[in-house]
Amino acid sequence: MWINMGPQHPMTHGLWNLRVRIEGEIIEEVDPEMGYLHRGIEKISEDRHYNEVITLMDRTCYVAGMSWEHLYIIAAEQALHLEPPERAQFIRTLADELQRIASHLMWYAAFVQDLGLMTPFLYGMRDRDLILDLFQSFTGARMTYEYNRAGGVRNDLPNGFTDRARKVMDWLDARFVEYDQLCLDSDIFHRRCDGLGVLSARDCIDWGVTGPMLRSAGIKRDLRKDRPYAAYDRVEFDVAVADGADVTARYLVRMEEMRQAVRIVRQTLDWLDKHPGPVLAERLPRWLGAPYAPVGREGYLLKRNYPTGRGFSSVEEPHGEAQAYVVNTGGEHPYRVKFRSPVFVNIAAAQKYLPGYRVADIPPIMGSVDVCVGEVDR
Amino acid sequence: MSGATLYSVSAALSALLLGAVASILPAPVNAWLTSPDVVTGLAVLIFSAILLAASMINTIMLIWFERKMLGRFMDRRGAMHVGYAGLLQNFADGLKLFRKNTFRPREADSLGFYAGPTAYMVTSMILFGVLPISTGWSSGALPLSLLLALAIFSFAPLFIFVSAWSSNNKYSLIGGMRSAAQMIAYEVPILLAVVAVVIVAGSFDLNVIVNEQQNYWFWAPLIVALIVFVAGMLAEMERIPFDLPEAEAELVEGWNTEYGGMLFAFFMLADYVRALIGSILVVLLFLGGWTMPSWVPSVATSFPLAGIFWFMIKTYLVFGLFIWIRASLPRVRTDQLLRVGWNRMIPLALLSIVLAAVVVTVRCLPLVGCVPPLGG
Amino acid sequence: MRPELLRERLGPLLGPRLLAVEPFDGTAGRVRFAREGALDLFRAVRDDLGYRHLAMVGAVDWVDHREVFYVAWSDQERDYVFLSTDLPANDAHVESATPVWPAANWHEREAFEMVDVRFDHHPDLRHLLTPEEYAFHPLLRSFKLHEPEELEVKTRNV
Repeated sequence: MWINMGPQHPMTHGLWNLRVRIEGEIIEEVDPEMGYLHRGIEKISEDRHYNEVITLMDRTCYVAGMSWEHLYIIAAEQALHLEPPERAQFIRTLADELQRIASHLMWYAAFVQDLGLMTPFLYGMRDRDLILDLFQSFTGARMTYEYNRAGGVRNDLPNGFTDRARKVMDWLDARFVEYDQLCLDSDIFHRRCDGLGVLSARDCIDWGVTGPMLRSAGIKRDLRKDRPYAAYDRVEFDVAVADGADVTARYLVRMEEMRQAVRIVRQTLDWLDKHPGPVLAERLPRWLGAPYAPVGREGYLLKRNYPTGRGFSSVEEPHGEAQAYVVNTGGEHPYRVKFRSPVFVNIAAAQKYLPGYRVADIPPIMGSVDVCVGEVDR
Repeated sequence: MSGATLYSVSAALSALLLGAVASILPAPVNAWLTSPDVVTGLAVLIFSAILLAASMINTIMLIWFERKMLGRFMDRRGAMHVGYAGLLQNFADGLKLFRKNTFRPREADSLGFYAGPTAYMVTSMILFGVLPISTGWSSGALPLSLLLALAIFSFAPLFIFVSAWSSNNKYSLIGGMRSAAQMIAYEVPILLAVVAVVIVAGSFDLNVIVNEQQNYWFWAPLIVALIVFVAGMLAEMERIPFDLPEAEAELVEGWNTEYGGMLFAFFMLADYVRALIGSILVVLLFLGGWTMPSWVPSVATSFPLAGIFWFMIKTYLVFGLFIWIRASLPRVRTDQLLRVGWNRMIPLALLSIVLAAVVVTVRCLPLVGCVPPLGG
Repeated sequence: MRPELLRERLGPLLGPRLLAVEPFDGTAGRVRFAREGALDLFRAVRDDLGYRHLAMVGAVDWVDHREVFYVAWSDQERDYVFLSTDLPANDAHVESATPVWPAANWHEREAFEMVDVRFDHHPDLRHLLTPEEYAFHPLLRSFKLHEPEELEVKTRNV
């Protein structure tokens, strides 16, 4: 029997359709059907200024907008031959890690909800709100920040931000213990999650699976360590790894990542306190600096001295490794923008890790994948 | 049985009403109206209406209680705006559901689709007539009221399955089948646990069972039976951690996926009615019903309606336990649930019967005291 | 890994099918190859050079030709390699990378529907993000935004 789990289904956390062929309660075959949220972001980007694409990046993954902005902006800066100032790099690192915590808290809330746990769902959302408050205080927005700019970030942190952020980090540190108590101390949690959705290290690599799913299989790979970008080579942290490659292992990896993210945030806050400076590169081209400046006639624009180039970037997004490829053929708009979403690949591998389990196991397994449909469909 | 009972009140009311109506009517009709049969008939109707109203209000307050208490567990406030502290929120929600259009999927079977929720609701409500709430506050002393109550209680899977099947939806069907399997699996340990109570009390009459607990409540000697009974009741009520039939994450809403408006309200209400009944049964069988231990000062037990007062307090505390469980446990999987039901619960229930037999034979237990002779 | 090393290692394996190796910041290099050598190159890159992890496959429409690119990651080298091949626009097809990297499956489906590049011997070359009946290829330069299009989508009964 084929079951359509989606596009309107509580398990999907978004808008997609997991078609499942079941025999009794056992899953025989899966066929994920994507595209319900396809907005053509890659196409729209071709008609936009470099800085205007950032707006789309916030909407690509609506729970990890900052990471996607960062991903795009690295590639765009490479394509435009721009270099952001040091302080902007640290602010980006800080924003990335705050976003990682917020995204993982969102994942935690949704994941425990899939297991039927109501209480931690609200705890997760409550604490995520604190991070969003921080975001609001320095970007002005809670979800769609539009904070990064080609050549730096839009504005500096407000006064007193670092102290407030430290308080939130202290609060979070105490809450992580509570989260673990609610889940790991529960026998039912282990009965539901242990040995579920196993995707071996070899399969992970063959299918291109990255992020917490890969690290839960025991592979110590984190782009922040292996291929540092922004200021990640100047902060100390450990890569979260777990064994087992199952749902519990992914839970452990994400929890540890949140703890490490708190650690990184503290270090960046200390650095930012000591090193004031510009956050946006000087001497930005004028056509780049004003994102909503009127566009002149094409003939006029062609006289300008536009740089050309290609940009490739890869960041460790909360869901996994995301890549961006920006082709700049000279002009105010990118010629082609291509994004690789980690969730896209992680869902593509569903045919490896879902069959053989029960229908009732689908929500925890897909929950542990941390699906964000916005970045799958783009 | 002392003072005014609910039935004597409604009988007096019935006689008064019929007398007043008969006084203005001509001869043959007024004689018939005041005949004992008619008076009794109306008295039963009034009695049922009062009971229905009281139980409905209680059920809705139970929902309020759950919302507020879940809110506290989750670090929020629950309903706050309609009425004082959101007391009237559920009435507003009920009204909203009542005003909604009742619709049926085209391919659904009409008879089963409408009859299922109605019968589920009705059979759940009937139980209030069977269970004694306090001395004199029941419809009568049925010698087998416990058996009758459990028999009516176990109708539910049939109606759930009928409505799930006639919904013509795969999720409904899976939910309905899970529900039937789960309820039937947990019916057995519940009945076996009840047997333990019956052995100690020596009767199937709930009034007798409660009166037997005047000296000591049954939970202490029958702790194993209590655990089995509470776990089984959680499964029967389909509450977390045993709410698989409507497991939201995988089955959308389980067997009531296709229902909306008033029919959905029937399901929701009946679920809470069953939760209330389950809590009442726990109180009646294990926590002494409306009786209080002798060390409680008589001031606390002798005011009017003290029995009902303490009974409701106990019932809500038991339900509070269910809410607590709901707030802190994840959902188990069907096969795990059934395995626990058949492999753990039934042996435990059998053990509780043995323990009950020991209690009855030994009579006296440390800490608990002495059991009165059988049939007392 | 450096571009010169890439050329040194891949050159003998591919011969004339290896067109050029250019430096490309952020990756080990941009390897341009002729499409006839696709599978050999993929195998060499995966097995000999150790780039076991396919990160992405995409396509760019250059109007007169289409470029298909592959990005792969190596855990040993800790960097990416960027492979690209040019296909004529009127006959855009290349061997599928799925036998070498199963991960290519969905990426190639996306490139197929978006840029109209066919991948030979792909196990399941259906549309991924757009409906099956969708007759357009949105990421072609000829596909203009802001122009209405008509589309009838059939719902499937399962």
